[in-house]
Amino acid sequence: MSIYLPIAEMSVNIFVLFGMGAAVGFLSGMFGVGGGFLMTPLLIFYNIPPAVAVATEANQIVASSFSGALAHLRKGTVDIKLGIMLLIGGLIGSTLGVYIFSSLRSAGQLDLIISILYVVFLGSIGTLMTIESLNAIRKSKKDDTPPKRKTGHDSWIHALPFKVRFRKSKLYLSVIPVLVLGMLVGILAAIMGVGGGFIMVPAMIYLLRVPTNVVIGTSLFQIIFVTGYTTIIQSATNQTVDVVLALILMVGGVIGAQFGAAAGHKLKGEQLRALLGLLVLGVCIRLGFDLVATPTDFFNIIGSMDEGGH
Amino acid sequence: MKHSLSLVFVSIALIFATLISSRAESLQMGISVDTVPVSSSFDGAEIVIFGSIETKEQAALYRGEYDVVIRVEGDAEDVIIRKKDRIGGIWINNQSENYESVPSFYSILSARPLNLIANPIVLAPISLGINNLGKNVPVEGEKTLIMNPGEFSDALLRLRIEQDLFSEIPGTLKQLSPSLFRATLSIPANVPIGEHMVTAYLFRNGKILDTNESSFTIEKVGFERWIYDLAHEQGLLYGIMAVLLAIFTGWAANAMFRKN
Repeated sequence: MSIYLPIAEMSVNIFVLFGMGAAVGFLSGMFGVGGGFLMTPLLIFYNIPPAVAVATEANQIVASSFSGALAHLRKGTVDIKLGIMLLIGGLIGSTLGVYIFSSLRSAGQLDLIISILYVVFLGSIGTLMTIESLNAIRKSKKDDTPPKRKTGHDSWIHALPFKVRFRKSKLYLSVIPVLVLGMLVGILAAIMGVGGGFIMVPAMIYLLRVPTNVVIGTSLFQIIFVTGYTTIIQSATNQTVDVVLALILMVGGVIGAQFGAAAGHKLKGEQLRALLGLLVLGVCIRLGFDLVATPTDFFNIIGSMDEGGH
Repeated sequence: MKHSLSLVFVSIALIFATLISSRAESLQMGISVDTVPVSSSFDGAEIVIFGSIETKEQAALYRGEYDVVIRVEGDAEDVIIRKKDRIGGIWINNQSENYESVPSFYSILSARPLNLIANPIVLAPISLGINNLGKNVPVEGEKTLIMNPGEFSDALLRLRIEQDLFSEIPGTLKQLSPSLFRATLSIPANVPIGEHMVTAYLFRNGKILDTNESSFTIEKVGFERWIYDLAHEQGLLYGIMAVLLAIFTGWAANAMFRKN
């Protein structure tokens, strides 16, 4: 059954999109990530104009992160103070990101920059994650003692001024790295059409040393606002949010996420991280290949019909 | 049903037009629809263009010496053609050419290939035929399409043909009788929204004897129209509504699956 998307201005198969939403939702439920880094490339492979894919994906992530954050709020695993600090940085970053997005689009380099950012971030994070989790799997086979969490007073980040106490995270930390991290993720969210959880979560664990139990909830909490804000700004400046497309993906996504979460409980943490690392690397290689492989067509047209959103 | 009824009206209008017409050779034309609605189920459409050739030279008519060519043209737009080059190992949009006033949709309907009907010297000044686009003499002070020959203009035509936005297919127009013709226009799902000009030309011995103009509009209707207008006229409000929709969906999903 085909449906006409009013903003993308194309006719698409509703079941293909619903299936894509459900498949990515399954993976995001299983691994506890937003799934934007998988969905945006998939939409672009499916010929949705990149500008529409990126902006619409931000809208979809609002739904999936809100759904996830509700569960964490109920369990009390959200550090709201830390979340708000990250959010302030995030809103600044997102504003910058939408501005960069518009100028790249008019310079004709948007698709290229989106691809390069994906390759760089997915490549480095995927590699780190895979190595770290494989080491963890090897260690857990040798002995069962869990690795000690570092106290959080030994890195340069903890020597910075303007310190604030975050009770829930049991941290006494400078606001500078928190605001900067929030801002960087905000820029990426706007340009790449991702929530940024795949960068935020490792950065919170390894750089800020936030306890693992509040990391996901806090990350989801701030992602709701950053992607919600990005959706509104993209709508107002680029008119590229397609709500019909977003709604199909949302419904598929939230259903898939439920089954994914159930499947995730059956796997160990380090096994999950290793699988996610490999998945991230796979998407990276696919996108990287497209950058270096000789294109089937050297030419492309940019008219009002070609990028969507006018 | 609607279709055949409008065809009857078109035919009646044609008969009247014929009675009034005083030229030696003339061309009458009617379109099966005024507007093509684009709703959520839109997946392309077909339009029928009917018409008749009026002439006192019945013998020439029966010998099939007349040809009708119909051009359907969408709104003009400015486009940029970009070419990828390998820079530092990756393929980057590098050189580009800009073209003004490129039709967003362009279709030629005819019974025979254009080159059998008339010479490019006749066709180029009126931009008739894909290969004659942008070959007309520019009008002073008006935006006109000028195609610089080369790989960029070739790519523009090739890509638009691949996207089904440009077409020139012989056999899309059929003579029902020596004087009556019927042309079928296939409108692809990615057709640009807006008014489309339909111009018919009557040819004999490679010369234009008469022309006739009409138009139809492709427009979004209902929900699609509402969404599109809101997004473009009230972007901020649209964005806020999109976020509220997402929050509601997220909440509903959470509430629904918690009970299970």
